[in-house]
Amino acid sequence: MMPKALKSWEGGLLAIFLLTLAFNAANAPEFLTLQNQINLFQLSIEKIIVALAMTLIIVNAEVDLSVASIMGLSAAVFAYAVNQGVPGGLALLICLGVGTLAGLINAVLIARVGIPSLVVTLAMMIGFRGFARVLVKDTSLGNFPVWFTDLGQKGFMLGIPLSLWLFLGLLIVLGVLLHRTGFGRQVVVIGTNAEVARFSGLNVARVKTTLFVMSALTATVAGLFYAARLGSVRGDSALGFELDIITMVLMGGVSIFGGRGTMPGVVLSILIILNLRNGMALMNITGHIQTGVIGVLLIASVLVPNIVSDLRARAARV
Amino acid sequence: MVPVLELRNVSKSFSATAALKDMNLSILPGEVHAIVGENGAGKSTLIKIMTGVHQPDTGEILVDGHARHLPSPQDAQAAGIAAIYQEPMVFPDLDVAENIFVSNRAKGTWMRWGELYTEADRIVQQLGVTLDVRRAASGLTLAEQQTVEIARALSLNVKILIMDEPTASLSAHEVARLLAIARALKERGVAVIYISHRLDEIFKVADRVTVIRDGQHISTRPIADVTEQGMVRDMVGRAIDAFAMKQAANPHGPVLLSVENLGRAGVFQGISFDLSQGEILCLAGLVGARRTDVALALFGIAPATEGRVTLAGQAVAITTPRQAMDLGIAYVSEDRRKLGLAMPMPIFANISLASLGKLLRAFGLIDRRAETAMAETYRNQLAIKSADVRAEVGKLSGGNQQKVMLAKWLETRPRVLIFDEPTRGIDVGAKAEVHNIIRDLARQGVAVLVISSDLPEVLALADRVLVMREGRQAGLVPIAQASQERIIGLAAGQGERSAA
Repeated sequence: MMPKALKSWEGGLLAIFLLTLAFNAANAPEFLTLQNQINLFQLSIEKIIVALAMTLIIVNAEVDLSVASIMGLSAAVFAYAVNQGVPGGLALLICLGVGTLAGLINAVLIARVGIPSLVVTLAMMIGFRGFARVLVKDTSLGNFPVWFTDLGQKGFMLGIPLSLWLFLGLLIVLGVLLHRTGFGRQVVVIGTNAEVARFSGLNVARVKTTLFVMSALTATVAGLFYAARLGSVRGDSALGFELDIITMVLMGGVSIFGGRGTMPGVVLSILIILNLRNGMALMNITGHIQTGVIGVLLIASVLVPNIVSDLRARAARV
Repeated sequence: MVPVLELRNVSKSFSATAALKDMNLSILPGEVHAIVGENGAGKSTLIKIMTGVHQPDTGEILVDGHARHLPSPQDAQAAGIAAIYQEPMVFPDLDVAENIFVSNRAKGTWMRWGELYTEADRIVQQLGVTLDVRRAASGLTLAEQQTVEIARALSLNVKILIMDEPTASLSAHEVARLLAIARALKERGVAVIYISHRLDEIFKVADRVTVIRDGQHISTRPIADVTEQGMVRDMVGRAIDAFAMKQAANPHGPVLLSVENLGRAGVFQGISFDLSQGEILCLAGLVGARRTDVALALFGIAPATEGRVTLAGQAVAITTPRQAMDLGIAYVSEDRRKLGLAMPMPIFANISLASLGKLLRAFGLIDRRAETAMAETYRNQLAIKSADVRAEVGKLSGGNQQKVMLAKWLETRPRVLIFDEPTRGIDVGAKAEVHNIIRDLARQGVAVLVISSDLPEVLALADRVLVMREGRQAGLVPIAQASQERIIGLAAGQGERSAA
């Protein structure tokens, strides 16, 4: 199923990951403590949850730029509702409703109307963000129920927070979905060649609809965790997260042209990015430089497979 | 005469497989030299060696009598060797002249536009074609794009032009024009290496014919000494009756598919036929007769807007491929690359693609073992040449890709099977195999509809021939009354004129 090149690609990621671990452990003694390990996940937990759904979207040869705005919107809706006196549980349900609706809007425009996802989700990135800003205005909204902030801040089971459990569960579910089920096979085939899929009787629109609703729902839940973890919400909460999320996916060896990519690759890429940032932070390297390093890694990750496949194609040209 | 290109004892292996064994070939200046062989005979490797993509393991290449090393395509081009392919590469946003000179860097820093167009025009005229060099390439037909590629090669002063299956997607008229271009090149002293599965073209254009088989040189003869049977025998290594005539009409079962006045607004109209179980109906016609559109309507890709379709006595309205498949209709597309196969994916995933539902277990998990078993069954049954069903489909030869596509549709257990140009771009041996498979299916009671532009194929397969012309039904002819002349006459509208 998996071409050899991808296996070696993941091998490369594994090597980089182990190097990062060794380097960090050598330079920062506190790196290997359990608390630091939980922390480094916790600081980016919302992004990595959304990255899992984004993996399926990109393998399907689409992209969802609106995820960060949906995260912001869901956090804003929750904060607004709670501050209007709506009970927390009901507010959560409203958020899920809003998230589903947001996903359906994306899905209909992309899968039924046929506008490229890049355009649709760029527009929705702006639109949903605007909506979130209207709700929260220029202030920040807090006053969340204690049970809600506890969900974001405290250990849930074995000292591990609920969001991290969710990430692990989702990782297994979506990994199996992508690599072992009929639905996942359809996602890959459509990402490889949507016309072949259509001529084979696959319902391309339905698969894409499912993916974009799933992506929006995942972003909604992640937005709620973000609100719970920080304890307050602003209009620009989660601003720009989509780029970090897409970076994680692409660095995992998922082809931006669709059809190729694996969940294990994305997990490795996530581990590398988190550990690299954490290690640099422990060494007091500033966030800007951290971002620069990640940028270089991303370019390398997109360049290397492209160069390899270019060389292959040249060799294969009759 | 010193050969302009000569290969001496060239061998090339990929891992354990020998692609070329002691290949000898000599090309004379100004000749059209046809190279024929089945898929997998080593033609591709041969081209790659001549164009510098691959290097021979042993043996040598001589250009104009001097040993040359061709480490890259650029070196081959510098030595005067270029190739054009089935699918031309042009830049759609540039105009014709810019495309011709795209790889020919202008001397000096600045473009001299006036000169560019004059020079492009001169080259195009040498080819004996009329083509406005200021036209945007995006509007060019496939044949015109090929002309641009040939002109590009000429602008680089090539001595040897390799044409690899150049006519696979061209209409009869365009083929004639391409053959004329090949002759024009020859008159200018350019040696043309012409690779084609279409034997009739080879007889029209070639001076000499080389047959290769299993990576080895079998024969090189002047065209006057070549017969079609002899060439086919050399290619397959045994005598086969490539164009076996229809023995007798198959015994048919009851009518399965009945089509009345089928049409799609602005595309085609007035198509009516009955198709029985076990019957093979061929759709013949010129390129642009809209035969594929009839198939797409029956398969639900571009649904019909008028007329009636009855399947096993039930009126049906087919609006999606899924619906067509549920009714037992399958469509084997002519375009393997764009519509037929997910090329980067493994054989087994392509075979199971249209019947994934059968393989699903709890939670929608795919039963991998059953999937592999399914693929293995077809690999044996259809003799798909690949060591492993996990191999990428894109790496198989055209004939084997065709079989994978066929396996995908056979697994859906169709009652009506529509083939669109089932043997386009595949070699004589694989062609005979595909014909046998189609006949077997009919014998098993499948109702078969074959769209084919290959008249010998139509006559060899069909029980009846439906001829289309410009989106309309021009005639429905039983095989006993069909002949090439009759079909061409109907397709070109002769019948109408004589009737009027």
